[in-house]
Amino acid sequence: MSKHKTVKVDYLARVEGEGALYIRYDDQHVHDVQLKIFEPPRFFEGFMCGRDYREAPDITARICGICPVAYQMSAVHAMENALELVLSAELHALRRLMYCGEWIESHTLHIYMLHAPDFLGYPSGVAMAKDHPQRVQDGLQMKKAGNAIVRLLGGREVHPINVRVGGFYRLPTATELAALRETLLPARDIAIATVRWAAALCFPQFERSADDAYEFVALSDPDEYPMNRGRIRSTQGLDIPVSDYDQHFRETHVKHSTALHSERVGRGAYFVGPMARYNLNYSRLSPLVQQVAREVGFPPFCANPFQSIVVRSLEVLYAFDEALRIIDHYCAPERPFEETEPRPAEGCAVTEAPRGLLYHRYQIDAAGKISNAKIVAPTSQNQKTIEDDLRLMLPQFMHLAADDLQAHCEQAIRNYDPCISCSTHFLKLHLDPVGAAP
Amino acid sequence: MSGWTIIGVGNRFRGDDSVGPYVIDRLRSRLPSSTPCIENNGDMTSLLDEWRQRRVCLIDALQAEDQATGAILRLNGLAEEIPPTLCRTSSHGLNLGEALALAGALDALPERLDLYAICGEDFSPNASLSAAVEDAARQVEREILEKLSLHTGGV
Repeated sequence: MSKHKTVKVDYLARVEGEGALYIRYDDQHVHDVQLKIFEPPRFFEGFMCGRDYREAPDITARICGICPVAYQMSAVHAMENALELVLSAELHALRRLMYCGEWIESHTLHIYMLHAPDFLGYPSGVAMAKDHPQRVQDGLQMKKAGNAIVRLLGGREVHPINVRVGGFYRLPTATELAALRETLLPARDIAIATVRWAAALCFPQFERSADDAYEFVALSDPDEYPMNRGRIRSTQGLDIPVSDYDQHFRETHVKHSTALHSERVGRGAYFVGPMARYNLNYSRLSPLVQQVAREVGFPPFCANPFQSIVVRSLEVLYAFDEALRIIDHYCAPERPFEETEPRPAEGCAVTEAPRGLLYHRYQIDAAGKISNAKIVAPTSQNQKTIEDDLRLMLPQFMHLAADDLQAHCEQAIRNYDPCISCSTHFLKLHLDPVGAAP
Repeated sequence: MSGWTIIGVGNRFRGDDSVGPYVIDRLRSRLPSSTPCIENNGDMTSLLDEWRQRRVCLIDALQAEDQATGAILRLNGLAEEIPPTLCRTSSHGLNLGEALALAGALDALPERLDLYAICGEDFSPNASLSAAVEDAARQVEREILEKLSLHTGGV
């Protein structure tokens, strides 16, 4: 008779926020998998209500210290969508440059400090640094270059303040961009070396069967690798404008988590993030990135989530290459921003945060006050896929000793670089004071 | 001997967590430009460049249930144990202790690290600095000015 066993990880290491993992299984079956998120809900959507529409980019940037640019980008684009404001190509290019900086910051931190220790057998990035100091130095140098981009475009590298509805408060000068270029050039060389190094790591074999195949979902645009615009597409044939998001994706509450789970209506789990972007948009990567991918033998479509570290390294290289392209072709906008006038309106936007789709929708009134806000972060969209991965891969790993099994499960979760702080928002709060008038 | 650098860690918009930037704001106008006053929003990896081979005063807020609000802990950051709740603004990054361990591995330690940890009570968004924390901040400011005056012969 088989005996029930459990894997219980009270605090997941090296992920953002506070999460836990519970798995109950026996020799034959996995009975239960729960990725538990117990961070207190932050009610950002609630306290945005009543605030001026121009405050949304700065308020939402504070949801996350790791990807504030993503929140700013989704917020400003949603407001500009509501007010039917189309930015010039020059302003769009600067927004894109800023997003490159955030991808570099976030991905390099994850690659070198959070995920690489799993592949090299270290409990932490700090422990890894003792044996591989040059690797960690490389990661820090690239992150510093990403910081330089965000600092120039955003005013500072953490919680930037220079983005406004309609454009930017201040534009970079040609001299500042030229100096930035000098910082980015050597960092791009390190990014190429990082792809080569990441592709040579030893990866657990994990491929889903056709019945359980992932549905990868990402923005897709005919002219560019997706960051701030495009239609929402999937590997199962979804192809919709961003305005239809709520018709195809739904959030539900689960008992074991304070974060809502998002699912494809009528289908279930789906997969957002670097692998989804890569698989749906390989042809839009720059020639250099495609060349390096070919050189290391990495295919244009990858469905092994453990290889997400290679995809991230390719996206870091792309972000450096794209940032340099934007600087080399920079043409200063006529104005730093377009004026906006509030009116009753509703707008939405999806942008590609480092971890995947980030959806914002707002309603504003005639005075420009926000009357309704909805934010769906990438991690809440990936949660069901993470749990499904663990459920499906566990039979391969059940023979392992408890410590090794736990390490494999944690590594599988870190494949997604979950940002639990970001994912944690909550159902609407109803206060029902005793004695209040009906 | 290398120069001094002052680093204030914290988030300006989270109540007592803003005490580091608060002290930095007050010191910036009173110190010569050769003494960098750096605000750090919690990106501990950037400290490695900022403090490498410098003498550093670092100010941050601390959450400690066994200490009164406004209490000041003065630590030698290179010799004493760092409280884990110091400089932990994100579990995705590093805390101060981990940043020091990383700096040790990468030969990027400061020459000297004087820590001023001020115990706060309210770290909620949009909260203001508690009165006791503000008093402590001014005390730390005085101590840093005296220290630099002693070491440099006047600031």
